Amino acid sequence: MSPPYSTLANLTRPWAAFSYGFLDPSAKREMRRKMIKAIAVPGCQMPYASREVPIARGWGTGGLQVTLTLIKPASVVKVIDQGADDSVNAASIRRFLARVSGAAETWDTLAATIVQSRHRIPEERLRDDQVLVLQVPNPEPLRPVQPNMSIARQMHADADYGRLWLVLYEQMVRSGRIMQGAAYPALVNGRHVMTPSPIPRWDVPKLNMARHLTLLSAGREKRLYAVPPFTKVEPLVFSDVPYKVEDHASLTCYRSGLRGVFMNEIPQAAGGSLHEASDSHLGIKAIRRAEGEAVEIGPLWYRDGEFRG
Amino acid sequence: MAYVATRGGARAIEQAERLYREELGTIDAGRVQGLRDALPWLIDRVMGEASLYDADLAALALAQSGGDLYEAVLLLRAWRTTQPRLAIAAPVLQEDLFTHRRISAAFKDIPGGQILGPTLDYAHRLLATDVLGGADFVPVPVEPAPCAAPSQQPSLAAWQKTMGLVADPPRVDVAGDDIPDVTRQPLLFPAARAHSLQSLARADTGGVLALGYAAMRGYGNAHPTVNELRLAEAEVMVRHPSGVSFSAGRVKVSQAEVTSKGKSGQLELGFCATFGWNEVKVIAGATLDLNAPGAEKGSAVEEEFVLYHTEPVESSGFCIHFKLPHYVTFQSALDAMRGAAVTELAKDEVTV
Repeated sequence: MSPPYSTLANLTRPWAAFSYGFLDPSAKREMRRKMIKAIAVPGCQMPYASREVPIARGWGTGGLQVTLTLIKPASVVKVIDQGADDSVNAASIRRFLARVSGAAETWDTLAATIVQSRHRIPEERLRDDQVLVLQVPNPEPLRPVQPNMSIARQMHADADYGRLWLVLYEQMVRSGRIMQGAAYPALVNGRHVMTPSPIPRWDVPKLNMARHLTLLSAGREKRLYAVPPFTKVEPLVFSDVPYKVEDHASLTCYRSGLRGVFMNEIPQAAGGSLHEASDSHLGIKAIRRAEGEAVEIGPLWYRDGEFRG
Repeated sequence: MAYVATRGGARAIEQAERLYREELGTIDAGRVQGLRDALPWLIDRVMGEASLYDADLAALALAQSGGDLYEAVLLLRAWRTTQPRLAIAAPVLQEDLFTHRRISAAFKDIPGGQILGPTLDYAHRLLATDVLGGADFVPVPVEPAPCAAPSQQPSLAAWQKTMGLVADPPRVDVAGDDIPDVTRQPLLFPAARAHSLQSLARADTGGVLALGYAAMRGYGNAHPTVNELRLAEAEVMVRHPSGVSFSAGRVKVSQAEVTSKGKSGQLELGFCATFGWNEVKVIAGATLDLNAPGAEKGSAVEEEFVLYHTEPVESSGFCIHFKLPHYVTFQSALDAMRGAAVTELAKDEVTV
């Protein structure tokens, strides 16, 4: 029989060493508020306290704080690093997430409710019931032209992006093409320029008018921002110089036979290179399917090396 | 096998961690106690950078990390951030500190006197190699002064204020909950004064020293004179919900105030305080604080530059993150480079 009056014991939960999902409620509340703000102003960097978490800064602590806030026991999490589920740090983060939340782990993009990623967006198209969490080392697209964050913040407020355009123009003049590799700056919702995190140029179109929500979070730099579903994400380009993704459309994965996906280049001792699909689990699924297994592969963003969305 | 391309990353990291921990062996309460007793200055440094005053936890973190300071600080910070803020202590006033050591370089003698306290400043730094040969190093007992120095001392700045040498801005009392807390809010610039001092208090000792030393050597605008350096214990006074004020215990604190002649015709002060006794950090930190006002944006003594780059958890974490694979970004850059080379070739062919 419970007492008719409230006591501290019956009002509170039993003591536990850590809160559900590791972060304490005050940290989660702040995260939720900042995530909602970030969704409300697409591409705009929201400063947040960014608590220490039990992995080192620069190792996905920003993405981790977002995922820890979103996660629930019914979640299914996929964590990739450079496209690979079994990459050591991805494995470590996935194990931690499962340990503190009881959520299920998966390698399959189709099965995941939350995909936390470093440097890649999976090749299978994400759905509107999935959330993509990108780990961000440097949230500031203006960093190369303005390392001082407080000045850069003012430049965003003024939509003062002239110097970014100038950098791209100088690359055209010097090298005959835009030399920006990964982390290609993009204009979000026609207002804020963001860095899409160091994903390859191949992946940036996947954010444009996407069905899924993308949250980008830099733990060390204490900034998070978002690309809500059906939001315009336009890489900065000149009207007469089209945006160029990496020249991978015609490469073939030597392991899975996949074509028209982003590839890892594997140097060969005898000279030359082989290529393997960077989205490692898509590669695995393709191999299994070729071996006769009934494996479901979702629709891809790219068909025949062309972006279809 | 390549460390990423390997299947079974989970097993690899598990075994790598085991290898590391095997080297450290069993950690028991005795080892933690031993570290706590043998290394008080290191414990102080770690408690300061972790901004968590608990010598047992600090010793445990050192035991668990095998003395890797950045790992120890991360362990403590990650634990600390999950703990609730139960109460806000009353402000600590300088004149209430139980002072063990308090010196000034600005005057030969100061009100209250120069109190050397415990220091190796004038010791000859001779390694006691005899210990390794089996001869114990037994410290010579201290001879108590005939008349003990008062444990509470006024601040030198208080005297300077009465003499009109330094500005005396009115004290603003802020309710405890309204004090900006850098562990709960992002550090933005221009920073709240509380955020600046809190950031310095938990900054990396080595990082603060490097930048502070650069300022001292001439990359700053102001040459510091140590107005006052103090090692003390502070009573942590908190209010019980019933309204009674009580001491929750004492914490060791260090603080430094450095000064230089300002443009205003008065002395300017730079200040730094931290948990634990850590003289190098507070002198270097106070020097940076002294140099910060009006420093050029992007210079090595500007507040944003100093505070962002002396955060031990952030700076060390980012440094070691470069061990993570970066082959997607590298591939992307390589593609642009090869593309440019092709363009260049095509251009040459046209000209030829």
